[in-house]
Amino acid sequence: MTLYIQRDAPFQICEIKIIEANNKQLLRISQELGIGLSLEEMKTVRKYFTKKDRNPTDVELQTIGQTWSEHCFHKTFKGTILTPKGEIKNLLKTFITKATSELNPSWCISVFEDNAGIVDFNNEYAIAAKVETHNHPSAIEPFGGAATGVGGVIRDILGVWADPIACTDVLGFGPLDYNHNKLPLGTKHPRYLFRGIIAGIGCYGNNMGIPTVNGAIFFDESYVGNVVVYCGCLGLLPKSKYAKNAKAGDVILLVGGKTGRDGIHGVTFASTGLTDKSEELSRSAVQIANPIEEEKLKRAIIKVRDHNLGSAITDLGGGGLSSALGEMAHRFNCGASIELNQVPLKHEGLSPWEIYISESQERMLLFIPKENLEKVLEIFHHEDVEATPIGELTDDKVVKIHYNNVEVAALDTDFLFAPPTVKRYAKWNDDLAFKEPILDEPDKLESYLLSLLSSENIASRESIVRTYDYEVKGNTVIKPLHGEFGGPNDAAVLKPLTNSWKGIVVSSGMNPRYGKIDPYWMAASAIDEAIRNNAAVGGRRIALLDNFVWGSPEKPSMLGSLLRACEACYEYAKGFRTPFISGKDSLYNESSMGSVTPTLLITAVGIMPDVRKAVSLDLKSPGDLLFVVGQTFPELGGSEYYRLRDVLGRSIPKVQVIQARTTMEVITRAIDSGLVRACHDISDGGLAVAVSEMALSSDYGLDLRLRNVPRADSIDRDDFVLFSESNSRFLVEVPKAKAKDFESTAGSVPHAAVGEVIESPRLRIYGLENKKVVDASTVELLTAWKRGLEDAL
Amino acid sequence: MLYEARVEVGLKPGHSDPEGETTAHSLKELTYPIKEVKVSKTYTITLKADSHNAATIIIEEICKRMLANPTKDSVNFKVAEVK
Amino acid sequence: MRREEINVAVIRVGGTNCDLETKRAFEDSNMKAEIVHFNQLCREKDLLDYDILVIPGGFSHGDYVRAGAIWAKRLMARLGKKIRQFVDEDRPILGICNGFQVLVEAGLLPQFEGISSFPEAALGTNIPTGYNCRWVYLKLEDHSHCAFTRKTASKRVLKIPVAHAEGRFILAREKKRKQLEKLMENHQIVLRYCHSNGETANDEYPSNPNGSLYDIAGISNPTGTTFGLMPHPERAYFGWQLPDWTRNDGPPTFGDGRFIFESVAEYLTKKF
Repeated sequence: MTLYIQRDAPFQICEIKIIEANNKQLLRISQELGIGLSLEEMKTVRKYFTKKDRNPTDVELQTIGQTWSEHCFHKTFKGTILTPKGEIKNLLKTFITKATSELNPSWCISVFEDNAGIVDFNNEYAIAAKVETHNHPSAIEPFGGAATGVGGVIRDILGVWADPIACTDVLGFGPLDYNHNKLPLGTKHPRYLFRGIIAGIGCYGNNMGIPTVNGAIFFDESYVGNVVVYCGCLGLLPKSKYAKNAKAGDVILLVGGKTGRDGIHGVTFASTGLTDKSEELSRSAVQIANPIEEEKLKRAIIKVRDHNLGSAITDLGGGGLSSALGEMAHRFNCGASIELNQVPLKHEGLSPWEIYISESQERMLLFIPKENLEKVLEIFHHEDVEATPIGELTDDKVVKIHYNNVEVAALDTDFLFAPPTVKRYAKWNDDLAFKEPILDEPDKLESYLLSLLSSENIASRESIVRTYDYEVKGNTVIKPLHGEFGGPNDAAVLKPLTNSWKGIVVSSGMNPRYGKIDPYWMAASAIDEAIRNNAAVGGRRIALLDNFVWGSPEKPSMLGSLLRACEACYEYAKGFRTPFISGKDSLYNESSMGSVTPTLLITAVGIMPDVRKAVSLDLKSPGDLLFVVGQTFPELGGSEYYRLRDVLGRSIPKVQVIQARTTMEVITRAIDSGLVRACHDISDGGLAVAVSEMALSSDYGLDLRLRNVPRADSIDRDDFVLFSESNSRFLVEVPKAKAKDFESTAGSVPHAAVGEVIESPRLRIYGLENKKVVDASTVELLTAWKRGLEDAL
Repeated sequence: MLYEARVEVGLKPGHSDPEGETTAHSLKELTYPIKEVKVSKTYTITLKADSHNAATIIIEEICKRMLANPTKDSVNFKVAEVK
Repeated sequence: MRREEINVAVIRVGGTNCDLETKRAFEDSNMKAEIVHFNQLCREKDLLDYDILVIPGGFSHGDYVRAGAIWAKRLMARLGKKIRQFVDEDRPILGICNGFQVLVEAGLLPQFEGISSFPEAALGTNIPTGYNCRWVYLKLEDHSHCAFTRKTASKRVLKIPVAHAEGRFILAREKKRKQLEKLMENHQIVLRYCHSNGETANDEYPSNPNGSLYDIAGISNPTGTTFGLMPHPERAYFGWQLPDWTRNDGPPTFGDGRFIFESVAEYLTKKF
């Protein structure tokens, strides 16, 4: 039986005989149309059309495929999970948004409902924040994939009427020296991906004039087959201009670039694993970036916003028109009626379904009350940006698509947004496979320190960061590269308003090595790290963003590990009183080399009342004391020190949340009281790397005594004190005259003066037995640290 | 009549070509027996003109006015009728 | 002319992206600044209503063909006559980064024999290659001539950031020597990259961040009214923008970039 019938129309439009199809044929249809729906879902579709007593068109099936994809609907997070301990309905609600709703802070304006999370900035303005992943497209075409990742997240910010003010990027690659011969067919070499992705990120942000101010790069074997690209963006919007009140009769205006065959089936591609055929199959999923188009688009949109001319806005991302239009109609309890041949095309010969689901870049959808249309069109014309009315919102909750005046789709939004709930199985094996290794304590700790400084996860990112314009807009107060030596500041501080000293603080936390051991503590650590990076420069009142990069949720162990991470997200967001405001999951990061290491990126967005109080990491003044704040435990399980020694243990860093929260508060109070000259968080590489970074960023040196470091009794070795990665710890430079005030501020939080800033530019560390274990000039440290990735680009 | 011009803009000899040098460097790193890499840009321009000669004059002018900076760029082009 | 009366046109086109902070700098120096789209200047607005023309940084028209080239040709084709008059009347023109590239591509700099119909210099691909965002040291060379640097400088070494991929100032190979001499003779070399102690960078990376001939960072025309530079003074205008302000207890009020804006204000208030 032929399942596809060309309808009697002067263009390509197909009817699919789904009513008559048996289960096997249903699956065949899903596969042949490339819509990635399961049998369960196809049966629901069949039921819907059987009831309607007609067969669907290709436009309709494609629309359903897009809307129900993992990428657009997040079915795993919204689905039902069966575990040995019982059933969990909706991961998102049970863990992520639950923390936010229980904390219910008055300063959260919009969480998990719009294109970006929105929080208060001051009386007049709000901050919008969003982080996205763009892994699959970047694996196939690194430059274009990364660039369009940046472009997409910037449009998410525009999609809440905010003006994008800064970008962030966090990347994961395989080792740059990976053996070419070991690469599976179709997998690109990490170095090739590295260069392309970094160029793509720089190109988009630089061209649009949005500073790239924060980021991180991680190297892990599992990223060889599954490269990881997170792109984030912050925006600023006047609270009174946040218009989301479209109604029936409003004009649907398509603005920006033209529509082409680029980026078809991007979402279904993103919702499956990568294979050696991916490149061929996904050629059309690759999108071409045009940042200048988006720059003009941004100007026009901000003008429409400032004149209160629009009633709603959304970006065209995954699923193109099909998912954006459906979502907006559904959100405003409306239907929509559009004419597809109004859509400006890049080239002829696109069939209606291709136009409807194309993911061509630099396009957005605006909803405009009729009386404002002329003014809006004028604004777009003035900026040389195309703007085309393609239809209007209706009051019937049906999305109707026409082509050449022929109706090619009519779908109820209620049906479209109620896909069958996915049921999946999760299993977590608590019995950790990792044993704590027995390691001898080496004599030459100094050489280990120097090797750590030039190891790829710790070495200076300067050669990469300099290719990003982090100064454009002239508002970057604390920069990713600090001062003369390019020191690694913990967070970026922005001063977005001319007439206010108030600042925005952005930081991130990620520990993929911990994910190999226990995703629960990985998530807790990432949250702690993001918050302490923020606090270290002066940030507070922190909002979090979560971005999961995981393997296939259809593997029970993968889903089990995801569940562990989600549990921690709830516990620690609640415990730190830092609500999640936005998030995104990228599942199905699978390749012939296996699953990706479960990776959670936490982005923290804080504020500070006066940027003039911001603190950098470099040592400031000889004679000052250096305090360690926070307790050191023997927690080296996933540490960089273990990595250097080629082992992985199970002693992963934990977080004691009440103590941790108090520690962050101590830092904030100390900074506000002017007691802090320099501050740096202790993370990858432990205390030794953190003090090195403080010294090499400055003209001065340090004398440091490990004996004084506040620590658990169970830690009795110099190397463990130096390299343990226990969470919630800071290094703080305090003038001697203020030491007493600082100590009383620290109160019950473990703290101790462990060293003194010295004029001579050397780092001297004395061990637990008071023996000198490190004695290196800051030039040596700096050289080792800069060498690591110097020639990577 | 319709003509197609292929214009190649490269660097004049003696001007350093950092893009080419960097590419050469990394190709050598991949153990290819590279001597030199030079980067140039190609424009394919389709235009209307009365004759081959007229098309050539227009292209010459475009090169001078826009496509090349005489301080550093050298230009080569070929004009052919589109059949 | 009083400072408050000075009208600054910060012009833009698709891809311009440093217009806001540039306008902010002029305003903080008490001048009236307006962001004007190039389309407006071609249609309803008159360039000659302004006292200073500023081409800010960015990637005009995507920097396709060559950085600044497309906008330069459009600028001269549409507004050439008015720009000539602007220059003839000694009204100041400033090009920052992409603006400098535009001025060179438009033949407005260096102006060996007046405004040229083809570029007489070029801003080539950086050596080492690639985009480079960093703070550099600049030595004020022949600055007393130039409207944008004539103010008595409190120091000879300025700290201002660059961010570009094509900023290597070059001259035609066969004329290089002569033209460089001419630039010196005419006092057109205003800013040169240098080491932190003020010694010439001598083509040493990263003090000279892009391989510019003779460490040139900014030049003016012979009369000193048209000025182009690769560094971004608007990003070093306020003290809190500086990369090392945290060394002290709070930032200074201003950075070294302010000098450029203050100078041109002084030039206009004295001259007109």
